[in-house]
Amino acid sequence: MTPMKILVVDDELVICNGCRIILEERGHVVETCMTCSDGIAAIQKTRYDLVLLDLKLPDQDGSELLKAAHRNNGNRIIVMSGYATVQSAVNSMKLGAIDYLPKPFTDDELLDVVKKAEDAW
Amino acid sequence: MTPSAKFEKFYNGFRDIISVVHSSTRLDEVMDLVVWKVTEIINAKGAILRLLNIETDELELSAAYGIGKNYLQKGPTFSKKVITDICHRNKVIMIDDILTNPRVQYPKEAEAEGIRFIVDVPLSIANNVFGLLRIYFTETRQFSEDELSFIVAIAEQCSCALGKARLIESHELKYHQLALQTEKLSALGRMAAGIAHEINNPLAGILLYSSNLSKKVPADTPLREGLDIIIEETIRCRKIILELLDFSREREPRKIPTNINNIIEKTLKILENEFKLNRVKLCKDLAEDMPQTMLDGNQIEQVFVNLIINSIQALPESGVVTVASRVNLDKHMVEVEISDNGHGIEKEALDKIFEPFFSTKAKGTGLGLSVSYGIIHKHQGHIHVDSELGSGTKFLIEIPQVTNGQSEEAFDDTNENLSC
Repeated sequence: MTPMKILVVDDELVICNGCRIILEERGHVVETCMTCSDGIAAIQKTRYDLVLLDLKLPDQDGSELLKAAHRNNGNRIIVMSGYATVQSAVNSMKLGAIDYLPKPFTDDELLDVVKKAEDAW
Repeated sequence: MTPSAKFEKFYNGFRDIISVVHSSTRLDEVMDLVVWKVTEIINAKGAILRLLNIETDELELSAAYGIGKNYLQKGPTFSKKVITDICHRNKVIMIDDILTNPRVQYPKEAEAEGIRFIVDVPLSIANNVFGLLRIYFTETRQFSEDELSFIVAIAEQCSCALGKARLIESHELKYHQLALQTEKLSALGRMAAGIAHEINNPLAGILLYSSNLSKKVPADTPLREGLDIIIEETIRCRKIILELLDFSREREPRKIPTNINNIIEKTLKILENEFKLNRVKLCKDLAEDMPQTMLDGNQIEQVFVNLIINSIQALPESGVVTVASRVNLDKHMVEVEISDNGHGIEKEALDKIFEPFFSTKAKGTGLGLSVSYGIIHKHQGHIHVDSELGSGTKFLIEIPQVTNGQSEEAFDDTNENLSC
């Protein structure tokens, strides 16, 4: 396994920390942001191998980060969402997300999508 | 009054009443006009109209003209015997002995009101008396043939009008109840969706931490057991929330031309074992000439599974579930009827069965029928339930029969999804 540099963007501290603990145990390097603008600033400053993004963020819609990532030479982004509808998954994919993880998810489900992203890397 | 003047008066009064009979759909309007016109035309003191309340079996005051409030407030001015009597005889009765006649409940008050003579005219449709027109006079009167036939004709017209107005009112009531029910369910759906989304975040935290911790705890320890229960129960919540989102109709149906009979066959195949396990018989009556219609096969299958499982579970051994399909050419609808001969549903429960979380089953989530309701409505269809305690329950599903070409307009809200 190649360690990846991963950014988690979610306004819920519990989810940021949960993802960080699980991914760090697998050797990945994890940073977290709790707003969309912080997330956009982070991807513009640092090159992340993967971004885990919640669409519902307090300042702007998470899709803004997807668009910014698209302009930013295409960061690979997995969308996490509590709005688990086919429509929201389809919209995320259209905006360039590589995968979709409906909330709530287990550690294994999280590791699976990250592994898939890693394999495709 | 000359005969021609009298004729003109009758004719005009009759015309007024007929015009209201045909133009008004409101019960009270019709009744108010009838008591007023009758009083005026035959020079009476006043008139009242009482309609039979089927539930209480009482004649209730519905309209009055020319009679003092004090007298009216006295309560029913005639006894129950009057009703049974008039129902039995169904003809005009004249009362000139108001102080002694048992048909007059409050003779002294009637006398004080100036009443000396009363005419009772039954209101009936197809020989069923449903009301009474009572006309009051200040002096005893001898009626001519034409006056009597005028009174009877007015009563007949009045009966027709009231019958019609009652029918319209009951239809309106039913429509309003349906509209209210739909509105209530859609509000519940929106609320449920809102809650579902909010709860997904805390659940994500629980599931993420518990599943991670569980791996760090040795197997066969109480700690591990506890953590695994937390995981299972959280996954159960996740499932319920997904069903709730289904109910809130966030998932648009993906409609393609389908023969609904094929969906029924597929559902019955899936449920073959359920029938066997519960020893329930299946009776199938599918239309042979079923045309294709636009629908989402998976969603409709889900509705059938929900309804048939409910039926199977409601049945004792050797009960029968009947699944029938037909085409309603008049309504342009494809109809599917799922019925059972089980114990039926209590009336109070019947009003609530499409509400989310309402369940009569110990282990039910109460989402099956509400999800089904959401799906059928997304197909621009209807789902009706009819149940009688002791004899069974019948669900009728109606889906508009549309082919692909017709569907553009009716289903424009689904096209976006189809193109993805």
